[in-house]
Amino acid sequence: MRSVQQQIWWPAAAVASLLLVSLPGWAEGPKTAEGKPDFSGTYNIATVTPLQRPAAFGDNLLLSPEAAEKMVAQTAALKAAGQQDSDPNREAPPAGGDGSPGAAGNVGGYNSFWIDNGDSVFTIDGKFRTSIIISPKNGRRPELTADGKRRAALRMAAFRENRGEAWWLESDGPGPYDDPESRTLSDRCLLGFGSTGGPPMFPVLYNNLKRIVQTPEHVMILVEMVHDARIIRLNSEHLADDVRKWLGDSIGWWEDDTLVVETTNFADQPALSLATRDLKVTERFSRIDDETLLYSFTVEDPNTWTQPWSGEYPWPVSDERVYEYACHEGNYAMEGILKGARILEADARKSDTD
Amino acid sequence: MYQKYFLAIFGSVLALGMTSSATAHHAFGAEFDPNRPLILRGPITRVEWVNPHAWIHIEVTNEDGTKESWMVEGGTPNTLLRRGLTRNSLTPGTVIIVDGYQSKDRSNRANGRDVTFTDGRKIFMGSSGTGAPDDGRDPTEN
Repeated sequence: MRSVQQQIWWPAAAVASLLLVSLPGWAEGPKTAEGKPDFSGTYNIATVTPLQRPAAFGDNLLLSPEAAEKMVAQTAALKAAGQQDSDPNREAPPAGGDGSPGAAGNVGGYNSFWIDNGDSVFTIDGKFRTSIIISPKNGRRPELTADGKRRAALRMAAFRENRGEAWWLESDGPGPYDDPESRTLSDRCLLGFGSTGGPPMFPVLYNNLKRIVQTPEHVMILVEMVHDARIIRLNSEHLADDVRKWLGDSIGWWEDDTLVVETTNFADQPALSLATRDLKVTERFSRIDDETLLYSFTVEDPNTWTQPWSGEYPWPVSDERVYEYACHEGNYAMEGILKGARILEADARKSDTD
Repeated sequence: MYQKYFLAIFGSVLALGMTSSATAHHAFGAEFDPNRPLILRGPITRVEWVNPHAWIHIEVTNEDGTKESWMVEGGTPNTLLRRGLTRNSLTPGTVIIVDGYQSKDRSNRANGRDVTFTDGRKIFMGSSGTGAPDDGRDPTEN
């Protein structure tokens, strides 16, 4: 038979527990010895929710559960299609290219089994989202400034469909394949593609793991692609203005249980497309639950965008391992690009003289 | 209607990835020549399990009986490692079929646009998806 004390103690303990877990910041993951949230761990940030909202969705931030379910099913179906057997008697792909767009450059890439961008759309507060970007309201990057438009146009003008020809000889000035320095930062293994390390940090096609290591004075974020470590100094000042870094200079501080990180002092080409050295990124890390962080960011670069823009998405904890990504380890691509360009140039000059 | 349109857009993004037109660490269009399509058949001799891209080496026998070594580019090995696949998952001597395009430098390298066993099955089955969000780096993106 239970004693009176026991009869009183257990209900009291239950009530106390309910009160405690309902208090903000309580029982929501581990804390450091200093009483701050401990975000140390590995996170897989892959998601098929897009950075920018399809324009047809307008200002609608939320995606209905039915639409989300369809999207997941469609993703699964496309994956299954990508794993279908091929014709063992197939011929070579078409001469002149297979028409694949963008960086796949009319020659295609490789099988989908190399790719790992997740298979789900994320929710925040139980609601599916149409995009990562939440501000401006249309979920898309804001209008470019006049200078931003000029630079975007220059980039577009330098782009040609891959025809296997040295088209750049048709105009004066340096060509896009003259030397390693003329190639993209991702070709050069200086930064990952797609602002994977950012900041801000976005999901990409594969290698989406982030590892956070936290001390009282620093937070380190290891970015799998391409083996970058973001070192965030807590309660510090930014470096002198003339000190510029590929990943920028990051300082951080705590606002209650939220880690705020401010990054400035970027080199001339930040990972974020079209951003300039005057880019300022403010990131906020907070805990949704034991298994999930909320990552949010605000981008300010008055050289490029007419207004700041912001976004957010969850970072789920992962038990997967982050493997080293030594980007130049077996990088035959640079040799293939530069030597290939020299051969195409020689072909063009030879045909001119014939 | 919006949802239908939205799904169609998502579908097209995903489909692009599934048809082997993945954006990756480097521009395939800068490296490979669309005027030099290839179909290669031969046994694996070794696998370079390296970043940024794995390379599968195969021995191809030409019509005149001579043999050539070819290298076929794949993706990052990290993804496959996490699924428990390693370079040893492809045994030397296993005959594979590769279609792709030759490198512009005219060395015996090609992109592994589609890499299968001789019965058409994809090697390294078990992909978990394609189609990254647009990031604006590709000037052809909207």
